[in-house]
Amino acid sequence: MGKLSKPARVYLAFVFFVLYAPIFYLIFYSFNSGGTMSSFEGFTWEHYAAVFNDTRLIIILLNTIIVALLSSLISTAIGVLGAIGIVFLRNRKMRNAVLSLNNILIVSPDVIIGASFLILFTMVGVKLGFASVLISHIAFSIPIVVIMVLPKLQEMSFSLIDAAADLGASKRDILTRVIIPYIKPGIFAGFFLALTYSLDDFAVTFFVTGNGFSTLSVEIYSMARAGITLTINALSALIFIVTLGLVVGYYFFNQRARTIGTGGQ
Amino acid sequence: MKSIVQVSVAILVVCALLFYGVSSLEKSSATSSGGSITVYNWGEYIDPELLEQFEKETNINVVYETFDSNEAMMTKIEQGGTSYDVAIPSEYAIEKMKENDLLIPIDHEKIPNLKNIDPYFLDLPFDPGNEFSIPYFWGTVGIAFNPTLLEGQTFESWDDLWDPSLKQEVIIVDGAREVIGMGLNSLGYSLNSRDVAELREATDKLKTLGPNIKAVIGDEIVEMMRREEAAVALTWSGQAADMMFVNENIDFSVPEEGSNLWFDNMVIPKTSSNIDGAHAFINFMLDAETAAQNTEYVGYSTPNQAAVELMDPEVTGDERFYPPEELRERLEVYENLGLEMLGIYNELFLEFKMDMEN
Repeated sequence: MGKLSKPARVYLAFVFFVLYAPIFYLIFYSFNSGGTMSSFEGFTWEHYAAVFNDTRLIIILLNTIIVALLSSLISTAIGVLGAIGIVFLRNRKMRNAVLSLNNILIVSPDVIIGASFLILFTMVGVKLGFASVLISHIAFSIPIVVIMVLPKLQEMSFSLIDAAADLGASKRDILTRVIIPYIKPGIFAGFFLALTYSLDDFAVTFFVTGNGFSTLSVEIYSMARAGITLTINALSALIFIVTLGLVVGYYFFNQRARTIGTGGQ
Repeated sequence: MKSIVQVSVAILVVCALLFYGVSSLEKSSATSSGGSITVYNWGEYIDPELLEQFEKETNINVVYETFDSNEAMMTKIEQGGTSYDVAIPSEYAIEKMKENDLLIPIDHEKIPNLKNIDPYFLDLPFDPGNEFSIPYFWGTVGIAFNPTLLEGQTFESWDDLWDPSLKQEVIIVDGAREVIGMGLNSLGYSLNSRDVAELREATDKLKTLGPNIKAVIGDEIVEMMRREEAAVALTWSGQAADMMFVNENIDFSVPEEGSNLWFDNMVIPKTSSNIDGAHAFINFMLDAETAAQNTEYVGYSTPNQAAVELMDPEVTGDERFYPPEELRERLEVYENLGLEMLGIYNELFLEFKMDMEN
């Protein structure tokens, strides 16, 4: 930060202001006793009380978190193995073809994916609900995990594997003791990206929710016609604070682990 | 590798805890023994307390889901996969669902509270005899305006929109039937006109409105009017009520030449697995006290005569949202014009929008 020139610093501050202003604007109005977002009338906690009193909203929130955590965990497991598979494909043409197929899934619009899943599930006879949402979230997260893990794998020197094999490592050892520790940052990046994708996905989820199972994004969007209440502001503020806490906690945990592990490198 | 395993186990433990939380929350809110029904409604279109009250009274558990457009709702119902028992579409959607055979006829004997509904809102062209649908909320199409931004103009007639002082001030809703209907009404014709000469005349008149038009948009109208970015809007009364809730300066008027009357009605989709429960729910919503409470929460106009009598006369006496008899007589419900005629409406609306570019 100290090396930056003054205009650069001002620019950076501006960028962060633009990024965070909407969030703080929303949080600010969560304390508004006026009931709308157009004028601030007075301070109140009532919207926060409303969040905790609304059992339906809390169930939806918990469902959203469960789906996000489970789907990103499973899709990370599948995606990592997929990425390893792609890297070790001998045939170059084949490898490119598989990669392209993976990329197509990333760029194809959510609406198309959602509609396809709806048709598939109703055709096969899967009841819409938790399972259908989880399966589709896993499906659209896998390509993202693959993309996040691939660069790490490509940057890994294959002589590491040869060396391990020469020293008598079994295939399993090579995977768990050489490859996976090396690509760990990519795995975590993939996991967190899948987590955010799952949390804020609307289009796919809209098609496959049913039987009372819903997620936060679908619920908030359907309020569009009659107006979104400040309860949502309060809920968003709470989620923001929890996320902030997690990030800060992770940062400190990492710092400490690093100081202990490598003597403050 | 160890840390990855640890993190995975931690996530699974968290998920298990959350699962436990959800199931215990669901248990505490469910009092079911009389089965359950799934209600599919617009977001924020019911007082949540009423759902709890219904569960207590009938022992039927309510699973509640929301949608944001008639089209989205129809797609979900058509595809199946969820057994929706009650849905609340608008009148044109009801007609379409009838045509596509997506609805179950309603047994009027199971809905004694139907007597509470003002007969004026029954037996309408989109569902003769209310065979498939029961009124929930209703409203009109009219002009929302902000007198503080205008020089004392009022909008008793559609022709007032043509006033030269309104240059670039009028927003109109992006709907062929609403806009062409306004043109027809302003000339004194029916907004269900099937006469191509009348339609052409209406379109020609609409084209002269061009200079006054600021935008042709959808739901964003509410936010623009709230923020006073525009002074006048052709819109539905429900949207106008939303604007007025935030911005007290805004007023609403239904021009005296007549206008459209719209409805959101309760229906029982073909996917229903608890038809008795669905009837019980519809009957419950028609109860005078329930409907009054719901109307106060949602803020739209109720067709429930018994509820109107229970409510604050200041609200129900508001002629902007509960128009008096003589105006109501000039209001018309959209008739199903058939695909061909609808095509002509859309064509003319497109022509009008294209003409505006110049």
